[in-house]
Amino acid sequence: MNREVNRWRIGLLLLGLDSAWSWLPACWSGRIGFQVLLLGLGIGVAAPCGAASVEALFREGAGAYRAGDYSGAARAFREAAGRQPASGTLQNLGNAEWQGGQAGRAMVAWEQALWLDPFNRAARSNLRFARKAAQVEAPELSWNEVVSTWLPMNWWAWITGASLWLAVGMVLLPGILRRRKAAWHQAVAALGIMVFLLSVPAHFGVHTRARLGFIVEKDAPLRLTPTGDAQVIARLSAGEAARWVRAHGPYALIRTSRALGWIDQAQFRLVCP
Amino acid sequence: MSLLMSQPKTEIPSNAVAVAFFDPPAVRPGEGAVYRVSLNALEESVVWPEKLNAPPELGFRAGGHGQMMLFNGTNFLPHTAFNYHLRAPRVGRFTVPEFTVTVDGKPVTVPAAEFSVVDSPPASMAPAQGLVLEVPETNLYAGQAIKVRVLLGPSASGQLQTLMQVQLNGEGVLVDQAAGRQQVGPVRRGAGVVAAYIYETVLTPLQTGKLTVFAQGFSAGSRYFGPMPGAGRPRPVPVNLLQFTLLDSEPVELQVRPLPRQGELPGFTGAIGSFSLEPPRLMADPLQAGETVKLSVTVRGESNVGRLAAPPPPQVPDWQVFAATPEVSPPPSPFGVPGRQPPLAQGSATFVYTLIPLTTAARATPPIPFSYFDPKRAVYVDLTIPAVPVSVLPGEKGGDLRVLGQADRRSEESEKEPGLSGLAPGPGLAAATLAPVQRRPWFLLVQLAPAAAFFGLWAWDRRRRFLEQHPEVVLRRGARRALRRQRRALQRAARAGDARRFGEAAVAAMQAACAPHYPADPRALVGTDVLPLLRGVAQTSSLPYRGFPIRSFDQAGTACRLEVGDTAGWKPALRSLGSPVPALGCEISGLGPGELSIRDGTVAFEQLKQCCAGATKEQAVITQEPASAALRRGEREERREEFAEGAAEVARRFFVLTDAARFRPGGADAKELLALQPELEKVLEVMESRL
Repeated sequence: MNREVNRWRIGLLLLGLDSAWSWLPACWSGRIGFQVLLLGLGIGVAAPCGAASVEALFREGAGAYRAGDYSGAARAFREAAGRQPASGTLQNLGNAEWQGGQAGRAMVAWEQALWLDPFNRAARSNLRFARKAAQVEAPELSWNEVVSTWLPMNWWAWITGASLWLAVGMVLLPGILRRRKAAWHQAVAALGIMVFLLSVPAHFGVHTRARLGFIVEKDAPLRLTPTGDAQVIARLSAGEAARWVRAHGPYALIRTSRALGWIDQAQFRLVCP
Repeated sequence: MSLLMSQPKTEIPSNAVAVAFFDPPAVRPGEGAVYRVSLNALEESVVWPEKLNAPPELGFRAGGHGQMMLFNGTNFLPHTAFNYHLRAPRVGRFTVPEFTVTVDGKPVTVPAAEFSVVDSPPASMAPAQGLVLEVPETNLYAGQAIKVRVLLGPSASGQLQTLMQVQLNGEGVLVDQAAGRQQVGPVRRGAGVVAAYIYETVLTPLQTGKLTVFAQGFSAGSRYFGPMPGAGRPRPVPVNLLQFTLLDSEPVELQVRPLPRQGELPGFTGAIGSFSLEPPRLMADPLQAGETVKLSVTVRGESNVGRLAAPPPPQVPDWQVFAATPEVSPPPSPFGVPGRQPPLAQGSATFVYTLIPLTTAARATPPIPFSYFDPKRAVYVDLTIPAVPVSVLPGEKGGDLRVLGQADRRSEESEKEPGLSGLAPGPGLAAATLAPVQRRPWFLLVQLAPAAAFFGLWAWDRRRRFLEQHPEVVLRRGARRALRRQRRALQRAARAGDARRFGEAAVAAMQAACAPHYPADPRALVGTDVLPLLRGVAQTSSLPYRGFPIRSFDQAGTACRLEVGDTAGWKPALRSLGSPVPALGCEISGLGPGELSIRDGTVAFEQLKQCCAGATKEQAVITQEPASAALRRGEREERREEFAEGAAEVARRFFVLTDAARFRPGGADAKELLALQPELEKVLEVMESRL
């Protein structure tokens, strides 16, 4: 429990400005907005605005799930995740979708949960279980995309920026502030450069991984051209991974491990919509 | 190859034919019937419409559909059937019009079929045959295996019928095909008992919620191989030869709940039902360390023991335990022919574990956690395999064998089977959107902020270093600020008519403006320090010196031209003229050997003007440069001189206030100084321009 809390604190500090900025438009209203700003800056801990309704939806979904009403649970969790995407909410949404027989949607939800919080072991385990049950393969990731899955999606961007400016600051500031350049200045600058160089590929991996999506319908036809009468070149299983290339009307050009073709956008969902 | 050659061929008719009829064709109101369609085609080649164009009041409900291969003596013929159930609403005649289906891409017409609902149907019309699906309980847990029976009673004439290709249909259920058994047994029909065909199998719900299951099968067959009550061995039983009719049952609804998470015990592998454990048996005792030994334990139960998963081997330091595989023993056959029928949901399973004692400290085999879920009591029951005492002797090879167990433990942990987790207790790590921050425009601005800050710091540092090398810039900047401050003060004093304050502010302003030129503290400067500076400032400044009473030389020297070899100035030009001027026949006074003053120059030019006015054209001398240019240059010099003198006079009069010892002769009347504000402003303006 303590580890969980510590991880949260670190996450809040790292997310920092992002969270503050992200929440501001939705809830900039007097004290609440100020609290959220403090939260984003890692100074204080306050509940995000709209948390009451999200919490209520979360509880409603959990209750429906326990009562066996999986469609109702999925609806509540989906609405809660729409208002504020959260790892636990998306994990529960995946569970409800899975219990409702929507394997593809469940896998997308669990992937989104991991996109937000790669430390969510339950979502990772659920994905393994679902892929084994549905006989679909995990998406093929490049090495930098694999590295990008080690931390939440936003952390790499902040780490990249912070390490770069830390290194630049350690080089410039001693001279500007008329301090003698010490060994630790150079060590910190070297560390910053090293972290920057290591985090850039992961940062790019987040960018490319944002184009990853999954088939949400069973036997979704992959067409040769973006028309309803086009030749079907393959039928894709629910939960099969694909990379989004471009869109044309209601169709999206995707690249799967088997083929490149067009699919109805309603049958395909990106992890990062 | 010969076996393949001997197999009958499958004959696919080139022209499929469809047959449609109601079974029975006439019923009383409220009774049920079946609309049957059959085709001599493969089921996978038939594109069946999702909805039939049937009278809506009949309430068509889709039933079973399937395919079987009929043997006509030489070849197999495909036979595909579709069933729809309906209930007669009222008396009348109803027709399902003909419609077209696609078979192998070709249209095939299904003929129209008529259905009559009458008050008294003919006695010869028996009700439609159907199957009965017996499910002992419908409130189940996910994964709970139950034994179900499909019954086909005798025909209306009392003759026994059999079923082929019996199957249970429904989403989210698993039917153990290997556990299917058939028999003929007594079933209750009305008040009596009749012999009926019984098909038993094990059904396991996999999903939770409401599930619907129904049975279907083709009624037909001339032979039946299976046990008969009272018979000693299986033998063919003659039954009535029927058409291959697809029969199905009414759907049965199951309410399936998930297993409770609370109270789950270690070693639960999905066993649901009622089980018991026989005492475990160890194959050898005593043992040597490192020697393998088998531990056998038998589990008996009323549930589907054949699907029972062995409890995972425990991880203990003194033993290496390998996973066990169940060995299922079928229950004794009630018909005396064991092994003829596959096992159903009863019997026992024996788990054989292979163990290796790693140290001599082991005194007993490790207890193996095992538990099952009792659906009747809705609790988990502990059925841990107990420890068996054993003596472990030192092994021949020696060494610490516990390393083996640790490696094995690590590999098994990594290969742990995943499963669906429970619900997350809270929303967890949240974000405003799933889009990464680098996709949002403000992120670039945030990243540019440190760059701007560093650039600002760098520029500030550069400026600071420059000022350190050029301190006069700082002095002049300070002087400018002080000068402007004092100018504002003197302007306020002038508006207020406060002559003394006006004078003090004027002096302070001049002191501030002159201080950087020494440099010195402004308050330490006195009039004698300021006056020379004012002269120098006036002579080097490029500002126009208008407003002082300096006479103009505009007309002077324009009437004639002077022979001026160079343009160094008007004084050399006048000197070169000499007096008298032989070229003009006139004399110019004032050009003595001493320093030429402005007044001397003015007088000389006036005389020159008069000379030029009286000169004839022949007397005029063509010069290389107009005299006016030299005069204008001289005018500027003159103005500077006059400005310097005027500024010095202004300054002198103001400093009288503060330097009384030096400037006492003029007397100091502060009120008169107010009238000098315009001149003072000009002086200060010039002084500021030199800072």
